[in-house]
Amino acid sequence: MIVAENLTRVYTMGRVEVRALAGVSLEVAKGEFVGIMGASGSGKSTLLHILGLLDRPTSGRVTIDGTDVLALSDHRRTLFRLNRLGYVFQDYALIGELTALENVYLTSLVRGASKTEYLERSTDILRRVGLGDRMDHRQSELSGGEQQRVAIARALVNNPSILLADEPCANLDSQTSKSILDLFARLNEELDQTIVMVSHEDWHKEYFCRIVTLRDGLIGEMVECRKEPHPGGGA
Amino acid sequence: MTAVFSGIKVSAFLAWKSIQRGSRGTLALTIMIIALIFVNLVFLPSIISGVVVTFDAQSIDFDVGNLVIEPREGSRYIDDADSLQKKVEQIPGITGTSPRITAGATFFYRGRNAASTLYGITPEDERSVTRIAEYMTAGEFLSNGDTDSIIIGATLAGMEGEEEGGLPSLQGVEVGDSVEVAYPNGLARTYRVKGIFETQSFGVDTAAFVTTREMSEVLGLDNQASAILVKTAVNGREEEYKREILSYGVQEDVLTFREKSGGFVEQAIQSFNIINAISTLVSLIIAIVVVFIVIFINTVNRRRQIGILKAIGIDQQIIINSYVLQVLFITAVGALAGIGLNAAVTTYLTAYPLVFPGGPVYPDVEASAILRSIASLFAVSVVAGYIPAWRIAREDILTAIRG
Repeated sequence: MIVAENLTRVYTMGRVEVRALAGVSLEVAKGEFVGIMGASGSGKSTLLHILGLLDRPTSGRVTIDGTDVLALSDHRRTLFRLNRLGYVFQDYALIGELTALENVYLTSLVRGASKTEYLERSTDILRRVGLGDRMDHRQSELSGGEQQRVAIARALVNNPSILLADEPCANLDSQTSKSILDLFARLNEELDQTIVMVSHEDWHKEYFCRIVTLRDGLIGEMVECRKEPHPGGGA
Repeated sequence: MTAVFSGIKVSAFLAWKSIQRGSRGTLALTIMIIALIFVNLVFLPSIISGVVVTFDAQSIDFDVGNLVIEPREGSRYIDDADSLQKKVEQIPGITGTSPRITAGATFFYRGRNAASTLYGITPEDERSVTRIAEYMTAGEFLSNGDTDSIIIGATLAGMEGEEEGGLPSLQGVEVGDSVEVAYPNGLARTYRVKGIFETQSFGVDTAAFVTTREMSEVLGLDNQASAILVKTAVNGREEEYKREILSYGVQEDVLTFREKSGGFVEQAIQSFNIINAISTLVSLIIAIVVVFIVIFINTVNRRRQIGILKAIGIDQQIIINSYVLQVLFITAVGALAGIGLNAAVTTYLTAYPLVFPGGPVYPDVEASAILRSIASLFAVSVVAGYIPAWRIAREDILTAIRG
């Protein structure tokens, strides 16, 4: 469970102060698929960066599964990201020198998993995202959709309690975007995976359990939208 | 402990993938530069060491032996040289002694003259100390009974029509020729040239030798010597033998061959060491700069990748260590290539040695020099690799990812 309380984030650019978040409070329960939406510059990515422990707020508090994550040292935050969070970036953020399989099992290697264990798990997860025949390909040999699937597999390989995705379909065509969202819906419904996803596409709304709309660094609207399993989820 | 091991494993994994799939050209060039720096670090000390070995060998084999006993202060000659010689020969580890009489002389040959040093030796004794007898280029070495014969160094004998550039030269003396020698007491003798020797030792090849018997008669000496050369069983332990000789009650001055050279070799070694230190420093600075630039460019180009690695939960230290391991790999391969390259240079210079005034100089590659070079290369490379990796890896994640 995520509890964010009164988060603010102020960037200083020269003499100008930009208030990206102006006091956001939010709770995400286990098993929720929350969409964070809003116009460009509304603070969506900033909020996700803070929830993903990639950035620190200027003020406020974040608790994830009961841990005050802002009080953690840099080293502890790194371990928290490794063990508890999965992060999917807009532009895939794969390591170009590694194959799809290596990209996926890298974090398992850090966790000290045995070779059999991490190969089995990574192979399995790549098959589940539909890349069973692309495991030995490097980033340059994969399409955008395939790269994003590798990124999702990497984010999921350590069974994170929360999957955070920052506009994962921004660089993909609508067909591929749909397949990615279907995959998220399936993960959410079949594995009860908590997902927080930033998006600005209206048609994505149908996948989310709840939509949080940001406006000028504040929550403008919070809508419960989907009650039934999404058809793409396959449940 | 498991976490540390996993961390090293991941660092090694990332380092190896980067080496395996990074730019081959840059890798090869960096390894080549490290190899050349290694050769530079080893080569100069090996030549300096070779020069010292040559000088030492020349001194011991042709000039003064391992030790030289000289008259005590205020005396011109060692009196009762036979007794002293016998006393010294009894000392364990002394394998030979050779009394010498030394005098400045002027040599005359076919209207030409040259001033140089004339030694009076007992040929059989001399054979037990120096190796001049083995370096006869024409004729023969002296015999104990010779009184009308002389052997002359190749430089003093000279070549017909050739000046020796300021060195004493009679320009073309050959075996069988007659040479007149004017002694410092005004007496002159004519000798038949029995042999010509060439040792490549400057001081020896400009000198000439007659027997002690002949020289003592001309100079009116009886059982006296200007010096007694001493040969020891083992080179390098001259100080021990010197103490041993003195402990036998020898009152004369006992000098090691290094002391006899008047500090010339020490001064030369000191000067060479300064040159070597400068050369080593420059080489290591080049190594630091090259490794720093390579890793700096590498990390700057992978700034985004470093940010991503941190974002997905890989510790900063694992990332830094991956670059340090890359540097260690490059240095290890560079040092190995350097050892190969150095072996090739050493083989060539052993076949075609550098020629110094003291004789041919062979590179003397000491294991300690190789180990020292490897250690210093590794030390500077690790530091030069660590700093740029640390600078980029400690950057804020989002700043790094945005590049």
